[in-house]
Amino acid sequence: MAGPSVRRTLLTVAYVGAAVVAMTFLLLPIVAIFAHTSPAELVEQLGNPVVQDAFVVSLKTSLIAQTLILLFGTPAAFLLASRRFRGHSLAITLVELPLVLPPAVAGIGLLAAFGRLGLLGSSLDAFGISLPFTQSAVTVAVAYVASPLYIRQAIAAFEATDPDLAAASRTLGASPVRTFFRVILPLARGGLIAGLALSFARGLGEFGATIMFAGSLQGVTQTVPLAIYAQFDQDFDATLAMSAVLVLFSVVLLAALHAGLSWQRSESTSSQSLFGLSGSS
Amino acid sequence: MPLDRRPLLVASVALAICVALAVLAFRAQATTQTRLTVFAAASLTDVLPGIDGSQRYSFGGSNMLAAQIEHGAPADVFASANTTLPSRLHAKGLCSKPVVFTRNRLVIVVPRSNPSRVRSVRDLTRPGVKVVVAGPGVPVGDYTLDALKRAKLSAAVLSNVVSRETDVREVLAKVALGEADAGFVYSTDAKTVSGRVSVIGLPARAQPTVRYGICVVEASGSEAAARAFVAKVLSGAGQARLVAAGFLPRAKPKPAKR
Repeated sequence: MAGPSVRRTLLTVAYVGAAVVAMTFLLLPIVAIFAHTSPAELVEQLGNPVVQDAFVVSLKTSLIAQTLILLFGTPAAFLLASRRFRGHSLAITLVELPLVLPPAVAGIGLLAAFGRLGLLGSSLDAFGISLPFTQSAVTVAVAYVASPLYIRQAIAAFEATDPDLAAASRTLGASPVRTFFRVILPLARGGLIAGLALSFARGLGEFGATIMFAGSLQGVTQTVPLAIYAQFDQDFDATLAMSAVLVLFSVVLLAALHAGLSWQRSESTSSQSLFGLSGSS
Repeated sequence: MPLDRRPLLVASVALAICVALAVLAFRAQATTQTRLTVFAAASLTDVLPGIDGSQRYSFGGSNMLAAQIEHGAPADVFASANTTLPSRLHAKGLCSKPVVFTRNRLVIVVPRSNPSRVRSVRDLTRPGVKVVVAGPGVPVGDYTLDALKRAKLSAAVLSNVVSRETDVREVLAKVALGEADAGFVYSTDAKTVSGRVSVIGLPARAQPTVRYGICVVEASGSEAAARAFVAKVLSGAGQARLVAAGFLPRAKPKPAKR
């Protein structure tokens, strides 16, 4: 009977059809960004001072924010990955909360916390520090929304490292600090890089919290997404150029993410071959 | 092979539901054809629904709304905080010839606590005063630039600007929250949060002419209803609502007294 084979063909057609729809839907807007203007025009738009200023602000605030995220997020993630304590899962849930928070809510929260009339704002004010409308405010907003992505991925990376290796390092006389830097960190670096790529991508795209907490001023607080929004009605070509650069940048980050993840996988397998005896089961 | 068939079944049921929902949504749209989509300046947020509560409103910076209409947004009526934006749409054949339907005044707002002790537009030139304005192209942002030029204070005040917001209500919010020391908004906006901000008037010579233009979007499928809406705004009742909210009558009273 032809029944089953016909059904299988139909199923394949359905799969392929769905895949084509999904791929077209996902890629069409990106193709459209590049199709709308010629590469020459895009390059020319990069000379536009609004565009240049926006990229300087975005890169500067992102680099500072990601450095802070690395410095504070890595030890925090290691602690959450290696120790089990009361309230451990609650702590992990809380770390992830900003991830699912609508950006506008994050913006309101940052204002309520660090704004001039906010929870900490008046104490900051006493030190002559006023965050809103400064580039530091952009950095804070970026760090707030992006750090959970890094910490989450870092926890997973640390959890995937073989505890036997750290134990062996300790038995061989290495200090905990040395063990962390020479054994655990190298083992987890693929996952950490993946986390950083995710966090960088999220931070670069930050919009809602930034516009509420930091405002928008060219060369000071106007990041690329804010400039795209502000220029939408003024200069559509400039918005296309900025969008095109962000697309290219995202491709690089995506590549870094996948490279990091596959590195992490190969590290965990190579660790087994390194200690062939323990990993031979 | 029941295991093999189940995903296909689920998929077809899901597809059927999607199609049904799409059809329903389309029919719902068709039956409520008379419900207009009105794109209106953010400063009209509190007053237009009082004039006609049966329409769908999208409030925002007039410049953003105009750009959306240019990119094909399904608006029926465009009520802008200036006349240049609807005139530009009219020149491009995208909307009818705009009519002035109300006027407004530009004012300075400061937080109730007035941390920088701002008393006049001149105080905004003092170093360290955090001034918030709307961005270029946003009507209230352009009026602000105009007012500062008239007051001959452009450079000094603009160097104190800490943020260029996307519409007038964003400017107002930053001041009402106490984050900024002063901002330029319409007098009608200040009234909506009167408990949180104080108003400082501009000198008469610095006051720009703030006129609101309304037009019917050409691509609208319900032009008659859209024209009726415009008539409602221009009617005595509509004008009374606007004046009650602090807007100025659409035509300046004849300067007979001078």
